[in-house]
Amino acid sequence: MDAATLATLLDPVAISRAETLGMHARYLVEGYMAGEHKSPYHGFAIEFAQHREYAPGDDLRYLDWKVLGRTDRYYIKQFEQETNYVAHILLDGSESMKYGSGGYTKLAYGKMLAACLSYLILHQRDAVALDIFDTETREYLPRSNSHAMIHKVLATLAAFEPARQTNIAAILHEMARQVRRRGIVVIISDLFDDEEKIMEGIQHLRFGGSEVVVFHLMDPAELEFKFNGLVEFVGLEAIPNILTRPQEIRASYQSEVERFRSTLRSGCEKNHVHFVPVNTAQPLHEVLSGYLAFRLKTSIK
Amino acid sequence: MSFLNPFMLFGAGAIAVPIIIHLLNRRRFQRVVWAAMRFVKVSTEKNQRRMLVEDMILLAIRCLMLALLALAVARPAMRSTTHNVFGQSKVTAVIVLDNSASMGVSDGVQTRFDKARKIAEQAVDALPSGSAAAVILASDVAKEVIKEPTHDLNLARKAVREAPLSDRPTDLFPSIEKALETLKGRSAIRKEVYLITDGQLAGWRQLGDIQKTLKTAKEQTGEQQVSSHIVLISDHEERNLGVSGLVLSSGLAPLNRPLRFEAQVANYGKLEAKDIKVALLVDGAAADEVTIPSIPPGGTRSVPLNTRLKTEGWHSITARIGGDRFPGDDTRTLAVRAIREIRVLVVDGEPGTEPRESETFFLDHALVPVSPEEAEQYYVKTSTIGPADMGGTRFDDFDTVVLANVPDFSTDTATALENFVKRGGGLFLFPGAKINAAFYNQQLGTTRKLLPATFGEPRGDAAQEDKFLTFQTKGYDHPIVALWNDATAGTLASARFFRTFELNLLSVPTADAGEKAGKRESGKGGSPTNSLANLAAPKAILRFSDGSIAMAERALGLGRVVMFASTADTAWNDLPVRPAFVPLLHRTLGTLIQRHDEGANVRVGAQFARRLTADLLHKEAVVMAPGAASNTRDLRRVELVNDTPVLTYEATDKAGIYEISIAEPATVLKFAAQPDPSESSMAELPAEEVTSLGQVAAVQRWNPTLNLREWVEKARVGAEFWLPILLAVLALAALETFLAQYFSRAK
Repeated sequence: MDAATLATLLDPVAISRAETLGMHARYLVEGYMAGEHKSPYHGFAIEFAQHREYAPGDDLRYLDWKVLGRTDRYYIKQFEQETNYVAHILLDGSESMKYGSGGYTKLAYGKMLAACLSYLILHQRDAVALDIFDTETREYLPRSNSHAMIHKVLATLAAFEPARQTNIAAILHEMARQVRRRGIVVIISDLFDDEEKIMEGIQHLRFGGSEVVVFHLMDPAELEFKFNGLVEFVGLEAIPNILTRPQEIRASYQSEVERFRSTLRSGCEKNHVHFVPVNTAQPLHEVLSGYLAFRLKTSIK
Repeated sequence: MSFLNPFMLFGAGAIAVPIIIHLLNRRRFQRVVWAAMRFVKVSTEKNQRRMLVEDMILLAIRCLMLALLALAVARPAMRSTTHNVFGQSKVTAVIVLDNSASMGVSDGVQTRFDKARKIAEQAVDALPSGSAAAVILASDVAKEVIKEPTHDLNLARKAVREAPLSDRPTDLFPSIEKALETLKGRSAIRKEVYLITDGQLAGWRQLGDIQKTLKTAKEQTGEQQVSSHIVLISDHEERNLGVSGLVLSSGLAPLNRPLRFEAQVANYGKLEAKDIKVALLVDGAAADEVTIPSIPPGGTRSVPLNTRLKTEGWHSITARIGGDRFPGDDTRTLAVRAIREIRVLVVDGEPGTEPRESETFFLDHALVPVSPEEAEQYYVKTSTIGPADMGGTRFDDFDTVVLANVPDFSTDTATALENFVKRGGGLFLFPGAKINAAFYNQQLGTTRKLLPATFGEPRGDAAQEDKFLTFQTKGYDHPIVALWNDATAGTLASARFFRTFELNLLSVPTADAGEKAGKRESGKGGSPTNSLANLAAPKAILRFSDGSIAMAERALGLGRVVMFASTADTAWNDLPVRPAFVPLLHRTLGTLIQRHDEGANVRVGAQFARRLTADLLHKEAVVMAPGAASNTRDLRRVELVNDTPVLTYEATDKAGIYEISIAEPATVLKFAAQPDPSESSMAELPAEEVTSLGQVAAVQRWNPTLNLREWVEKARVGAEFWLPILLAVLALAALETFLAQYFSRAK
């Protein structure tokens, strides 16, 4: 891992801003060690939560002796367990992500986003699992909260080259089955797939209790479709080439895109999933800090 | 449909251009590697049909534009006649230019003829290069200035520019016929006749034939097809006055005697003419003037004009009225020869015992109708002899010999008489009870061809008074008696004839044939032989009421013989005591005297022919036409025709006096040509006739802005359509721009 790759993938501005905001779990997460995030498990821990009457079988270690001494009643002290979470970062590595009209391809942007998030999450000692997929999982880094993890993540991201088309839905279902503990699933993709199936996959994940965040990456050219003259569109995925005059179908195209995005957005909202539309022309730090600030706001609530 | 630039039609291949551009454009596209294909696909599928239709519409418009542009550049034209793929072909044209007198009508600036010449020149200019043109001047005859179509168009132009105006009447048919005849044998793809004329009705009197001929020519196929263009130069002249007639009322023009001329002035216009001054000019000097108070439209007025001729020989007598827009008929000129005296030898066949019983008593008094004191000064001098003295008389001392009831005479005398007549003498023959009809018929009639007729059987009874013949009462054709057509001049019909000889006109076989030929060729001048033979043929001067001949005449050599059917005294009739006797006698005498002056007044265009004495044979005569510059003189030679020296002159296109001079022996002759009064009528071809004419020829009325070239080219190729096509192209271009913008707007 050289410094150049690090510099490419880890946007210093984005990280410096994001660090202050942090990536907090919005829901209860099931960590495997003590951490910053509230765990659904109560018991021995640092933060007292409540008292409960003793019931036979309870561990006498948690009997509140002071209450027994004062009131002669048996109460058990309960503590909230603070735990860490596992963030599953799912990066779409299909061919469609190769597209980029300006500085970055969607994939490069996605890699940066994934790297920054990983760094951020690892930095707060949460665990990260990375999954780069197309029709199936192509690269997988199992969860880890070790500091070495960031290097692995960056190396994996840097080394990845897309080759196939997307099948997000299948991956989401697969992920839903794999995630035993409730954590955060971050999907970074252009979602160029059947939106119904994608929503089903997201639903599946949510059903498992995981929080899902969707970063929907779109290139500005894909949004604005500002082509003139006769253009042949060479499909990055299965659809054959199309020769057309884009300016004459621009309105139609834009409304299609808008419809697609609004379908996704409403589907996500229904499932309490954060849907973050990302225009790859936006600086990463804006997107990231903007989202994290928004997230912080909603979490506090 | 044909094309003036047919090669440009290949430009229609340019419609391939947008198609090629379209196809090339399909290969020249921007290639974009694209991820969001599903949206492009959906959008494309949604718009595919619309875009295809729009593409097709634009492509169709562009192709159509180019096709039309090629069409416009090829200059399509609707051609009524020959189809010709290779543009304007060479034309063989005949330009028929009307140069009749009526073309001299002026609009104050230029005459119709000036306009016609310009139009004709334009017609020559409008001929495509390599064309040939012939030029015909049309009046009542077709005068071929350039007979065979020449490729030298400059020559044609020059011929047109220098074409002279004539004073001839119009008849367009011969010229049109001649023009078509000229084109007939020619091998040319395109044949055209240009007729430039005024719309004068008189010229179109054979309209039916003209139409038929032009139609036939038009409906021919291939090389025989002839298309005709007619330019009518008419300016609706409302007024025209003309001197329609001028005659010497007294048959003779004796020196220093009052001469009376009758000038007839006609108003051919549609408005009444007032205060018309008619002047008489003798050799160009004013001699008399009369004012006619008014002439109604279409009316004529005759006025007497008096003068005296002071010198012997030929004079030009001109009647002139004030000038109007058509100067051609404002003057009329006669050639008149003044004579000093007339010597008449009267041979009295029955002197009787006292003067009153003399056969020639009335004759003598009628010939010299003045008192004995004045007889000395009178221009007619008579000498009376008996038949016995005839042998010893030199007839050549007299101008005319009158035989009254002379029984017969010797053969020598007969021969002497014949020679006398042939040399130019006049012979007047009165029969009577004593004549030997068989002698006359045999010796003078059959043998010597001296008489116009033979004597038949005498008819009627002089002794009774209730059965008689009179002269015909109307239809006096002969110049001698034409005076009595005018009722104011008295009447001939009052005379009663109780006994007359039957006169049988002698037929002259050659002269007869000549007469027919002359009729057929009338208007074309005729050959000298025919016209002279015609003049020499015996003819009736006057007939009785029953149709039998009362007076007959014939010419022989330079002289003339007149024969009467009854006596010179009152034995068989009462003519000598009738008022008409003196004028009849004097007019006959005039005719006899002026026998060799006959033909001195011809119609314009008619041939002038004069018999001359033998010493002038083969001599050169210089003819000076009226109005001609002094250096343009015609030379003619006196030729021998029918054993007689004859001088002929046929180029009598101008009205006025012609002067003929022969150097040795010094001889000066004059004759005058008079215009045809029919030419003075300004009536025009009615509009409906013009319309019907339009079916067989392209007819155009002259106007100051007439561009013959444009018109002819249009007629030659029909109408051109490049302009509307070009406009359509422009409209399509605008539509294309709009649609292209509209279709390609961001959707």
